[in-house]
Amino acid sequence: MSTLTHPPATEASTTTTPPALAPQPVQLTTAREINPRVLAAWSRFKYAGLRFADVTGLSFLPPILRLLDGEETAKQWREIVRTLFVPAAAFALFLFAWTVVAPHHRTKSGVVPTPSAVWDAAQSIWAFHEREGKKESAYLMSGDERSTWLTAARERLTKLEPYEQAASRAVAEATVANQQSVESKIAPLVAQRKELEESIASAQQARLAAMETQQAALPSASVETKEAFLAAVRAHQEATEAERLELQQLDAKIQTARDRVDARLNGAKRTQTAIAEERQYLATLVDQLDGANQESKLDREISQLRNNQRDFLASAGSDILPAAMRVVQSERRINAVRESNYAKPWTLPMQIARSVACVFFGFAIGSLIAIPVGVLCGLSPTFMSAMTPFIALFKPVSPIVWLPIALIIVGGFIPDPNNNGMLSFLEALPLIGWMKINPAFIASAVTVALCSLWATLVNTALGVASVDKDYLNVARVLQLNFRDRLFKIIIPSALPLIFTGLRISLGVGWMVLIAGELLSSSEGIGKFVWDQFNNGASDSFAKMIVVVFIVGVIGLILDRLMVICQRLVSFDNSGLQV
Amino acid sequence: MSSRDQRYVELFQVGKTYPNAVGDPFTVVEEFDLIMRRGDVVSLIGHSGCGKSTVLSMVAGLNETSRGSIAIGGREISGPGPDRAVVFQAPCLMPWLTAYQNVRLGVDRVYPHATSAERHEVCEYYLAAVGLGDCLYRLPSELSGGMQQRVGIARAIALKPRLLLLDEPFGRLDSITRMELQDVILRTLDRESITTLLVTHDVDEALYMSDRVCMMTSGPRARIGQLLELPFCKPRQREAVLEHPLYYDLRACLVSFLEEQDTQRGRLQEVEFVSRIQQEVETLVENEVVRSPSPQVANSTTELAVVN
Repeated sequence: MSTLTHPPATEASTTTTPPALAPQPVQLTTAREINPRVLAAWSRFKYAGLRFADVTGLSFLPPILRLLDGEETAKQWREIVRTLFVPAAAFALFLFAWTVVAPHHRTKSGVVPTPSAVWDAAQSIWAFHEREGKKESAYLMSGDERSTWLTAARERLTKLEPYEQAASRAVAEATVANQQSVESKIAPLVAQRKELEESIASAQQARLAAMETQQAALPSASVETKEAFLAAVRAHQEATEAERLELQQLDAKIQTARDRVDARLNGAKRTQTAIAEERQYLATLVDQLDGANQESKLDREISQLRNNQRDFLASAGSDILPAAMRVVQSERRINAVRESNYAKPWTLPMQIARSVACVFFGFAIGSLIAIPVGVLCGLSPTFMSAMTPFIALFKPVSPIVWLPIALIIVGGFIPDPNNNGMLSFLEALPLIGWMKINPAFIASAVTVALCSLWATLVNTALGVASVDKDYLNVARVLQLNFRDRLFKIIIPSALPLIFTGLRISLGVGWMVLIAGELLSSSEGIGKFVWDQFNNGASDSFAKMIVVVFIVGVIGLILDRLMVICQRLVSFDNSGLQV
Repeated sequence: MSSRDQRYVELFQVGKTYPNAVGDPFTVVEEFDLIMRRGDVVSLIGHSGCGKSTVLSMVAGLNETSRGSIAIGGREISGPGPDRAVVFQAPCLMPWLTAYQNVRLGVDRVYPHATSAERHEVCEYYLAAVGLGDCLYRLPSELSGGMQQRVGIARAIALKPRLLLLDEPFGRLDSITRMELQDVILRTLDRESITTLLVTHDVDEALYMSDRVCMMTSGPRARIGQLLELPFCKPRQREAVLEHPLYYDLRACLVSFLEEQDTQRGRLQEVEFVSRIQQEVETLVENEVVRSPSPQVANSTTELAVVN
């Protein structure tokens, strides 16, 4: 309270407080005086927030909460600057440097994309995902909803037409303008090249003529003169080479100038592409709502069935059997259409979900192996020394080596993926069925497990082996049996270290998974990157950079989750090393 | 008292020698003889490092004896067990268990045939007895050092041990908490009359808590230097003990013994002093002035090593 009564002048002199925020605590003070219930609710909220920040390690939260409470304003501002503004400023600086540097680096796949291009790519990834979702629902749509959607889509298509024309006009104009500017830039260079060519030709001719006259007098000349002639020939060769290089450099310069596309043309092309994409999307959507729609297909098939049934009833003699066959075939087709679904391609959000599922699957396999083995290693030095060669030998093996082996072994267990009981069972499950778990998925998960289990194993062994002697003495005095000693003393005491290991394992697993998917072509983030690399579209590069950020953010979230788990199980506060 | 109760705890020629990789084996304790009556509270006092805790952990079974034997209730011990509960210097509570669960851990072990409700009652009773009736479900990290040690005491006493071993249980506490806990233990001992061995280096604590004080010589090769029977009445009242006419003499006797262990001088005067004090105690005890239970002449079983 005393801090609140300070005159604003002293506060401004000691801190960087913007004046706009200074009155806030004062308002709170009046609220405090008026309504104690509000105060109580606020303080509950504040302490809940502080606890949350403590568990999650979000260090910028406490100073904000304390600042709102008017607690040591100057100190809180310093903390906010340190925990929030400084990282934000560093990131802004990074973005700025990126924007400045990126356009200057040309690669085979075009210029390195700027942050804005990456943002556009992210939006286009998301638009693709949403559109595919709409197409899928359009296929299954029926009745009034279908017709309203259909009208809306058709309206949008007609509306798009003038835009499309305008866009192609703009592209044509921009191409011409670009052409002109390129020509005007190239003209002096072309002239320069011509001049250079001429001067080179005349120089070469002059040198040749000189050598020919020397050659006439050569047979009777002295050895020295002959040697001088050889030197002249050598010099001529070198000069010719140098002139050729000069010409090549000039040609390259002209080519780059010719390739240069100005911003206007780029923008026009981008607009045109966006419109074309939307048009294509709308066309497919209309098709899914109209001709290819499940309901309309069913209608067609049902009317066909009716006809066949009528034919069957009316037929006589040897026609009966073929007519009956047609009826049955129609029935079968109807069933097939009922069960059919839109063939939705994989979109990045779906691939992300599949990757996360895969990493947790592999992590679970690895932990189920590593924790029991680690406990045994910690309990028995003999077992530990039996395991040491395996740990030492297999720990450094790269995922790139494990993956093909895992693929072969998993393939051995699942020889026919299309006709496998376990896989079809998994596909029928509600939440993970759409992920289409296949041998490549399992092999990637096994690779994750093989690469990530070591950290958990070693940390578990260490945790179990280094249980405080005092606790073990208590267990001895109480003569606890083995089970109680293990589950009541040893494992709880080792839990913080076990979770440290699990945290490292999950981080390793996430890194390994992306590489594994890239190699095994298991649908996921790695596959997306690989597809983009092979695709070579104008925004592929930008999409790959989008993936960099997505992988980073998901890795961060996974790490945070593990930190929270670690904080919740650790009885001392040792878990908070971020 | 039957003869078995007279010799309830017996340490006979107990010794501990640690092997030394680069020299002669290192003998910490040698020829340690002690006999405790049932219900007796005996303090082991000596300089730090003299082997007090080694003796205690050998009695607890946590540390094997190199020579000699230890018997309780006429049966020789082997290994640790819940019949000899230990209160360690550090509370040694499992930090992931609540105060209640920590006590329950041992109770489950000692009362295997009791119902869950009975065990619950036992835990509650002993936690209430040490003054933690309203902190049953708190984690050790939420308790102060003194409260943690109370849980440790409750855990030990709830085992209904035949012998309670206290290894400098107040060593890490401030003096006010220490006095509180001394009273907590004394009250519990008065109620349950558990035979107790207390290791301490605090002279006042030894005088206040115990029936007999066993002074150890400084190690290596530590042994019993002196046994001192205390004349204070039970149940102990701190004021009564402090105002007792012999209190300061007994205290001076202990202090001078410990000092003498430092200097190894004035040994003869020391012996005279101790035996003079002891004589006074004996006269008092014989006249049944101070002690309520039937008095035993001090050192009836164990001779004063120094006197010999």
